[in-house]
Amino acid sequence: MQVFTSLLVLSIVFAVSVITDIRTYKERKANSVISLAQVIETNSISPLQFDDNEAAKNILSELRSTAPEITNAIILNKKGKIFASYSKTNTDSFHIPPNLSEKNHLYTDDHLYVSNPIMNNNEVVGKVFIKVELTELQELIKSKYQIGVVLLFVALGCSFLIAVFAQAYISKRLLLLVGTMKEVSRTGEYNKTISDKGNDEISTLIRVFNNLMQQIKENLRRKDEFIGIASHELKTPLTSIKGFVELLLELEDEEQKKEFLQKAMANSKRLDKLINDLLDVSKIQSGQQLELNEKEFEIGVLLDEATAAFQMAQGHEIIREDNLNGQTVIADRQRIEQVLTNLLSNAIKYSPPGSKVVINGRKTTTDLIIKVRDFGKGIPEEEQSNIFERFYRTKDNSIHVSGFGLGLYICRDIIERHQGKIWVESQEKGTAFYFSIPLRGIMSNQQNVGL
Amino acid sequence: MLKRLLFFLLICSFAKTVLAQESVDEARLKAAFIYNFTKYIDWGTASDENNFVIGVLGSSLVTQSLQEIASTNTVANKKIVIKIFSKPSEIDNCDILFIPQKNSFSLQSVLDHVGKGVLTISEEEGFARQGTAFNFVIKNDKLKFEANLKAINSAGLKAGSQLLKLATIVNGDKKE
Repeated sequence: MQVFTSLLVLSIVFAVSVITDIRTYKERKANSVISLAQVIETNSISPLQFDDNEAAKNILSELRSTAPEITNAIILNKKGKIFASYSKTNTDSFHIPPNLSEKNHLYTDDHLYVSNPIMNNNEVVGKVFIKVELTELQELIKSKYQIGVVLLFVALGCSFLIAVFAQAYISKRLLLLVGTMKEVSRTGEYNKTISDKGNDEISTLIRVFNNLMQQIKENLRRKDEFIGIASHELKTPLTSIKGFVELLLELEDEEQKKEFLQKAMANSKRLDKLINDLLDVSKIQSGQQLELNEKEFEIGVLLDEATAAFQMAQGHEIIREDNLNGQTVIADRQRIEQVLTNLLSNAIKYSPPGSKVVINGRKTTTDLIIKVRDFGKGIPEEEQSNIFERFYRTKDNSIHVSGFGLGLYICRDIIERHQGKIWVESQEKGTAFYFSIPLRGIMSNQQNVGL
Repeated sequence: MLKRLLFFLLICSFAKTVLAQESVDEARLKAAFIYNFTKYIDWGTASDENNFVIGVLGSSLVTQSLQEIASTNTVANKKIVIKIFSKPSEIDNCDILFIPQKNSFSLQSVLDHVGKGVLTISEEEGFARQGTAFNFVIKNDKLKFEANLKAINSAGLKAGSQLLKLATIVNGDKKE
């Protein structure tokens, strides 16, 4: 685009200069030939007066040496008859152009015609006509074009180089900005800033962007702070409520009251879990480490416990298809249980009552992979990348499920702190969540045992 | 026979008119030349304050043509007057003296009566050498003229270069 613009400008400038040059040349040439004609005029007055065409012819033949570009010249007498003529090549083929008589000069494609009256004491005594060939002009034009083409290429090359450098300088920074924006909108890491040493519009843009990031970051920090304080403040009275309900439940004998207290207890537990999730999230957000209490434990036992808790309470059939009994891992048992509980409760929430939930597990050379699969609706592909974000709720309105949408976000954080991975595979006939935990020291132990 | 005679006469008369026509044309051209000479001569102080006088010695066809020119033109804003002198002794007070071909006077006798400041023009072979300023000659059927620079100078006149370049310059050695 820049190259094209500069090419256009250059062409116009060059065309103007060529046209001006040609015009100036033509004017100059016409003027010089007209003055020549005037010299001939002065010199041919007396030959005309004394009817001496030999003398007139001599005057004209001097043109051969003084003005070799003149091909033909004639002097007409008062009556308009040819008085003397001159031809450079001695071939007499001079036709006076019909429209010359009004003007004193006329340009045709390759010739210049000049006409000049011969005046003596305000009386026209004859006329001079001169025909000039314009080889010089044609050569001038030709050389102009040659120079023009060379110049055009040189300028084109230069402007291309400049454009490339300018583009590299401008585009690079713009692309960096765009890249950062994309990355921020993808990862949600609003603490990114871009450093730019320039002093132009782009650096202004980048400064504004950095300020915007700063503001967003500040707002997010305040929100997280609020969540942290709020959940902490909520938890204290709730713990007290839970404790007293529990106490009442032990003391109460009457069936109906006991049932009410159980419901109050169940809902207090749900509230407790929600508040715990919020506390977890606010810890994650504030950058505090969720401290992992890593110990070696048997994964099979954990799976048993987790399934048993759900098996009792819900109308789903939870099937363990793994073969991990006896397998140990080094991890935070409580946190891994939190992940399992989350995944299982999701599986139950999002699949119809009475359907199956399958837990599977396998071991690779480096990792332990646990799979929790349900036979529910599945997750649309376009939502799969978002489900691990905090506060993300499915857009499907037919499913009404309570919660903050924090479960999977916390799961991902826990698994990532274990250097593992969590991902989802979903088909029409249900969803499968996977997570992996690196085996680390265990593997070397086993290898040692094997040796 | 009679027819032939008539035819002969006819041809004769035709030839005569043709010849006459030729000499009239020649006379007209000479008159025009004489008038054009005036444009290239620096006349200095003129003989007559009001008129430019062209004298003709004796009768000539040129006289009539000169009169035609005189009626429509001027020389240096002065009226042109044609004077006819019948003999050299009458020559007086003129700017140009034209000496026609056919006259019964010797050139020397004419020149003796010509004062200073008079341009003499003749039309006889060799007259320029003998002391007239300009002399008409016919070369290749064209009217040309000779110029005697000494005669022009001694008359106290100056001829323009544009005029002289057309003239055949001769030396007036016989006058010396």
